Amino acid sequence: MREVTASKLCLAIEGLTKRFGGFYALNDLSMEVAEGHIHALIGPNGAGKTTFFNLLTGVLPADSGKIIFEGEVVDDVRPSKRTARGIARTFQNIRLFPHLTVLESVMIGEHCRVFPSVWKALSKGVLQPPFREAPEEVQMRASARELLEFLGLDGKRDQKASDLPYGEQRKLEMARALATRPKLLLLDEPAAGMNPHETEELDEVITRIRDRGTTVILVEHDMRLVMGISDRVTVINFGTKIADGTPDQIQNDPVVIEAYLGEDVEL
Amino acid sequence: MLDSLFDGYTRSLLIFAGINVIAAYSFYAPYKTGQVSLGQAGFMAVGAYTSAVMTQKFGMPIAPSLAVAGAITGVLGVAVGFPALRIKGIYLLLLTLGFSEIITVVALSWDYVGGAQGFPNIAFNRFSLDYVAALVVVLIFFFARLERSSLGRAMDSIHQDETAAEVMGVDVVRTKLFAFGLGAVIAGVAGALFAHQATYLDSNTFGIMASVEVLMFVVVGGGSTYWGPFVGAVVLNAIPEILRSLRDWLELVPVSWTNFYPMNNVYDFLHNFLDFENAKRLIAFGLILIVMMIFRPDGLVTRDALRHLLRPLQFWRWRTHRA
Repeated sequence: MREVTASKLCLAIEGLTKRFGGFYALNDLSMEVAEGHIHALIGPNGAGKTTFFNLLTGVLPADSGKIIFEGEVVDDVRPSKRTARGIARTFQNIRLFPHLTVLESVMIGEHCRVFPSVWKALSKGVLQPPFREAPEEVQMRASARELLEFLGLDGKRDQKASDLPYGEQRKLEMARALATRPKLLLLDEPAAGMNPHETEELDEVITRIRDRGTTVILVEHDMRLVMGISDRVTVINFGTKIADGTPDQIQNDPVVIEAYLGEDVEL
Repeated sequence: MLDSLFDGYTRSLLIFAGINVIAAYSFYAPYKTGQVSLGQAGFMAVGAYTSAVMTQKFGMPIAPSLAVAGAITGVLGVAVGFPALRIKGIYLLLLTLGFSEIITVVALSWDYVGGAQGFPNIAFNRFSLDYVAALVVVLIFFFARLERSSLGRAMDSIHQDETAAEVMGVDVVRTKLFAFGLGAVIAGVAGALFAHQATYLDSNTFGIMASVEVLMFVVVGGGSTYWGPFVGAVVLNAIPEILRSLRDWLELVPVSWTNFYPMNNVYDFLHNFLDFENAKRLIAFGLILIVMMIFRPDGLVTRDALRHLLRPLQFWRWRTHRA
């Protein structure tokens, strides 16, 4: 466990609110994520964790509040531009591109780094002499394979993404998100559907992602995983923050235990 | 150049088949990002009338007027593509269909381009076959390259899951606009080539059925690889010709075999059926579509089929994968 110090902020959330009709999925949520941390976000089902990710990535618009990423407000930035700035995510309900191969899926993540505009992608990647691969393409494939090796998927690189077993599809989602070279990685229940052995590996993978300099926000129900690797934990319930602290503080917080009561979760 | 190789009938057959291949690629470009357009005939109409006006009223030579037609349809394509960004599926189909109908009505009521009388005496392009063949080759090379490039994969990813593609950093808005505009440019050039081959245009030439036929080419050929549009357009253009030649063979059957019941009825039926014009052509297309949807819903050429067929040729690659 690393010492929690007042280091540089990667992300600051101020008064974030999202309503669906009369239902507050997120209600005036404020939090701060320090750079280089694994920051876990936990809470009972329906607490608003996935909504939080959707607002962070811009998939849904917020009703009010501010998202400040690396000192800049990104509320009005389109999702693809937020990714270009360095926010990447995985999806709770896996959303891979079913007809692309494993390698191609990861190369989609590389796309926004190598070709920042459609014009560049056309002129540098397509309108080139025939029968010769563009150097960008070679470079993309090499770094995509590096990421696949990092996650232990290199042997499956030519399989269709939809043909992978569930646990490996989750890993592929992580590889694809990492390929965008994020500064902040949002993992939405990465351990769901993984067997205990794979979860153990995941432990190490997430730690190594952090050690490569990427800040991680982790939504997860596997408390052993969360408490084992997180630098800081925020607990939300009904869209409101109810606790914030180190794993040790959270595990002994009566409010948190109360929120989880009846859920049969060992903190 | 190429035209000396063929007799007049074959030549015009090849030219119109080639124009259909180009039109099929104009549908394929936006389809690669998941946009299904029923307005490609509308873009063809704009291209055709633009080039006709340029050559006849402004005395422009054919080659640059093709470029002007492509440029104007491209601008129009991006303009139509903007509202098309927000809508999907059946609504996009209706929007593009509506656009195409507007073009038809404008062509019908605007006297400058001939109105209901049509646009006659358009300059005839002696080199149609060369132009068409060259453009088909260029398009095949372009889309082959696109399919193996990052931009092509980005377009595929938008087709498969738009939200996921956007979150992975693919600029969905610009990529879709580019694809729609590219399709419009290709359609415009196809229409212009048509104008200078047919030498006469009227508003019916590019009606709904023309758009549906363009869609059919890609549905039958397959929309997942760049070979699909080519194969679809060629096959659907060849079928009427093959059936017609079958009828010539039918003539060779001795009369003594068919002048009694029920063979006389069978003969008459075949003789009529193989004469493949207009209404029957549409019925046959409808039947082909139904059969395709049952047996090969992804089209004749799919990525898996290609991979399977090409595997023997790529055994060295296959071996390195196992190693």
